[in-house]
Amino acid sequence: MLKVRLRREPSDAAGAVHALPVAEGAAPPEPFRAAAAAARFTGRAGQVVECLIPGPRTLLVGTGPAAAPLDWERAGGEAVAHADEETRTLVLDARGLPPEAAAALASGACLRAWRFDRYRTKEVKPGLERLELVVDRPREVEPLWERAAAAVRGCLLARDLVAEPANHLTPAVFAERMESLSAHGIAVEVLGPKRLARLGFGALLAVGGGSANPPHLVVLRWKGRTGAAPVVFVGKGITFDTGGVSIKPAAGMEEMRADMAGAAACAGAMLALALRGSPAPAAAVLALAENAVGAASYRPGDVLRTLSGRTVEVLDTDAEGRLVLADALHYAATRLAPRAIVDVATLTGSIVTALGHHRAGLFGTQSALAAQLAAAGEAVGDLVWPMPIGERHREDLRSDIADLRQCAPHGSGAWGGRFLPDACHAAAFLREFTEGVPWAHLDIAGVELRREDEPLGIKGPSGFGARLLDALVAMRFEEEG
Amino acid sequence: MLEIAFAKPDALPRAGALVLPVAETEGGGAAAAAPGGLRQRADEATGGAVERALEAAAFKGRKGQTATIWAPGAGLSKVVAVGLGKESELSPEAAEAAGAALLPTITGESEAMVSAEHLPPPLAVALAMGAVLRAYRFDRYRTKEKEEDKPKLKRLTVATSDPDAARAAWAAQEAVAKGVYLARDLVSEPANVLNPAELAERCRQLESLGVEVEILGPKEMKKLGFGALLGVAQGSENEPRMVVMRWMGRSGAAGKGKGSDGAAASAARPLAFIGKGVTFDTGGISIKPAGGMEDMKWDMAGAGAVVGLMAALAGRKAKADVVGMIGLVENMPSGKAQRPGDVVKSYSGQTIEVINTDAEGRLVLADLLWYCQEKYDPRFMVDLATLTGAIIISLGHEHAGLFSNDDELAQRILAAGKAVGENCWRMPLGEAYDKQLKSDIADMKNVGGRPGGSITAAQFLQRFTNGKPWAHLDIAGTAWATKDQGSTPKGATAFGVRLLDRLVAEHYEG
Repeated sequence: MLKVRLRREPSDAAGAVHALPVAEGAAPPEPFRAAAAAARFTGRAGQVVECLIPGPRTLLVGTGPAAAPLDWERAGGEAVAHADEETRTLVLDARGLPPEAAAALASGACLRAWRFDRYRTKEVKPGLERLELVVDRPREVEPLWERAAAAVRGCLLARDLVAEPANHLTPAVFAERMESLSAHGIAVEVLGPKRLARLGFGALLAVGGGSANPPHLVVLRWKGRTGAAPVVFVGKGITFDTGGVSIKPAAGMEEMRADMAGAAACAGAMLALALRGSPAPAAAVLALAENAVGAASYRPGDVLRTLSGRTVEVLDTDAEGRLVLADALHYAATRLAPRAIVDVATLTGSIVTALGHHRAGLFGTQSALAAQLAAAGEAVGDLVWPMPIGERHREDLRSDIADLRQCAPHGSGAWGGRFLPDACHAAAFLREFTEGVPWAHLDIAGVELRREDEPLGIKGPSGFGARLLDALVAMRFEEEG
Repeated sequence: MLEIAFAKPDALPRAGALVLPVAETEGGGAAAAAPGGLRQRADEATGGAVERALEAAAFKGRKGQTATIWAPGAGLSKVVAVGLGKESELSPEAAEAAGAALLPTITGESEAMVSAEHLPPPLAVALAMGAVLRAYRFDRYRTKEKEEDKPKLKRLTVATSDPDAARAAWAAQEAVAKGVYLARDLVSEPANVLNPAELAERCRQLESLGVEVEILGPKEMKKLGFGALLGVAQGSENEPRMVVMRWMGRSGAAGKGKGSDGAAASAARPLAFIGKGVTFDTGGISIKPAGGMEDMKWDMAGAGAVVGLMAALAGRKAKADVVGMIGLVENMPSGKAQRPGDVVKSYSGQTIEVINTDAEGRLVLADLLWYCQEKYDPRFMVDLATLTGAIIISLGHEHAGLFSNDDELAQRILAAGKAVGENCWRMPLGEAYDKQLKSDIADMKNVGGRPGGSITAAQFLQRFTNGKPWAHLDIAGTAWATKDQGSTPKGATAFGVRLLDRLVAEHYEG
């Protein structure tokens, strides 16, 4: 993350680029007024004009109506996006702005400045390293920034994990990296394959069975201080998804290294809560496995005994996420005494067809929880949309041989069976393992990776969900006593 | 259509079937017979056989439960008990469901009576509605059906405490049922029979109800400049049509609003319903896979619903001014057919690059939407279309996708749908989705790719609403049922007729 310093006056660091946020319709200060007019700068969101004179180099950054923190975040991101590759220091001038706006500007800048260069060995550009946030009263901004920075760090942890290729981030390595969270006061428990077998994680073990890298389950606990029951996040962490025996087509399969983005988002949210010392007790259960093709792979037609004792008929080994979540959800619901469960998973292609790359699918059993999730998503720019679980969706999961089947068979729907509401089926399946605990499910397939550069992040892992879950906790679960 | 009669519960029928709708008590058992009612009288006339049999069948009155007692005596061929569900949850929906559940048990009888005298008359009417809707069959093309397989029931007598009230309420419901039947007929018809010209001709039958019917052919549409619709139609031998149906139930005369001041003027503006009517959709040059293509005869279900709706509104003399508009084409591949890459100019003046000729419904609707808002300045436009396979992948078959630029209208549609069992689910719109339609050489492409496929289709339509209040129902998943469900038998559902009739009745009459 950028090194952020709060200052009263800009330093005169050599080569620093300055950025000046300007709200829509507001007049830019002299000496930039003429340049702004000549470039038809109106302060519209996303508009940036570079003023080379009188110096130092200054970017006028449009914030739009600047009604919400998100507008300021985007402006901070735009400023970074327009600083060129040679720039090491960005000076963001937030003087005259409310402290919340200043903190949001810095958040946006840090989110946009994230890069993943670990595996580049040649011609690595150092890029932006420092952010000077210039404010009138640093002491007022400081606590707000610390809070915002916690969420940013959480989001960037999620991105770092998602970006890692699957030969580097196996389930065991993922689990190992989670151990480092204990430095922040998070209790970390890792269940390896032997313990999972002893406890009866039949679904998680079956999915991971084909891989040389065995599955793990990670439980992260943040104690908080309200003494309430914890809110529990459950994350799908398929470190690579070949599809298994129901193997995927080759084109685009490399993206499947991101099939652990749900688990990464949950880990990121836990880090954010710990860094900002959230009063709310929280926990995360990460179901980590690699869905590989191997001699010990599970097969279509197999019947699995899940941790809950319920049996599941496998129709498609590429619908593995719901299987590992089934065990993780049951574990969360029965072992962690949660007040609510939110799972996050890159679960279905169907949700991409439904909502594209701009919104995640939101399913659940409690409308209040769903409404809060939607509001939290709006606040941080991780947009979601409510989706239904209908009676038919559950009926479609009746199995001839087991308690339920994991999805509807191909060819069973309308128009020659080409159209199946698989995201709804998956949600109906997961619901069976929530054991009556208030629950919501975010299907983040399609939003886990940005398809192009955006104000709050470059093309690649988005960290979707980390800041959303942090915001949810802040909005709903932090009441004391 | 099954005839419904209402009568006082004066006497047991002398023959045929007697149906007893029975609620479930809080204790979980069947409610007791009302003193002096038909159930008690039937029990007495059969020497206690009825109650003994219900006991033996463990009949509890649960929703959907039925018990049939064959030849119980007193000349009756059978007595059928049908569950109404929990006593405390009695509702029109529950009564309709019971009506639907009882129907299959009595279709072999020539006469039947339902003992509904213990139900409030509105519930007796809802029960009749369920039976009538469930009784729909499309058997026009069966030539060899065995006599014993054909339904014999022509008339169902509903015993009620207030036949006059029930009859009055039924008149409106019967009109709606007729609209549903008409829509189901149109959707069920094969495409070699029901081409655009034939469907347009069938709209003429609405004239007898007082609906003005105007039919535009290819010449008129060419003159108007319906380039998007005509591009779709050009591959087929069967010429396109547009049908405009006007029901002026409020103002009386066609197109003449009464008031000119403020609110009255707004109320005088008509409501508009627009239907996609692709009588068969091969996909055109972007041809569909063979599996399941026969289903594409119902790619005119949106138009079918609009025709059925107009019949319902006119049939019950709705006090509202309503314009129904359907765009009828056949989408065929041929030497004359539109190609991927073609650019067409829509009636609005906006140009469209046709990337996929199988995204043709939106092209048809584009011209109708613009024409409708320009010519009629309606209070709102609601379009119905079997538009995308993506909506089935999104929602399945229990909900139609609802897209709207107007929250109040959307809320009303959701509520009306819930009330009649035609459920909708709101889906998002937004600029980010709209961008997917960007074309390199025209104002827009007609598809935005797989991600968010139903949303980008709706975004496309929205570009032709000129910012007017509008809602779009993507009914691809709900227009056809693959199994019997409640009052909808397997086959064409007529989804939208009852929903939109209800919408008009709740908010736009009086």
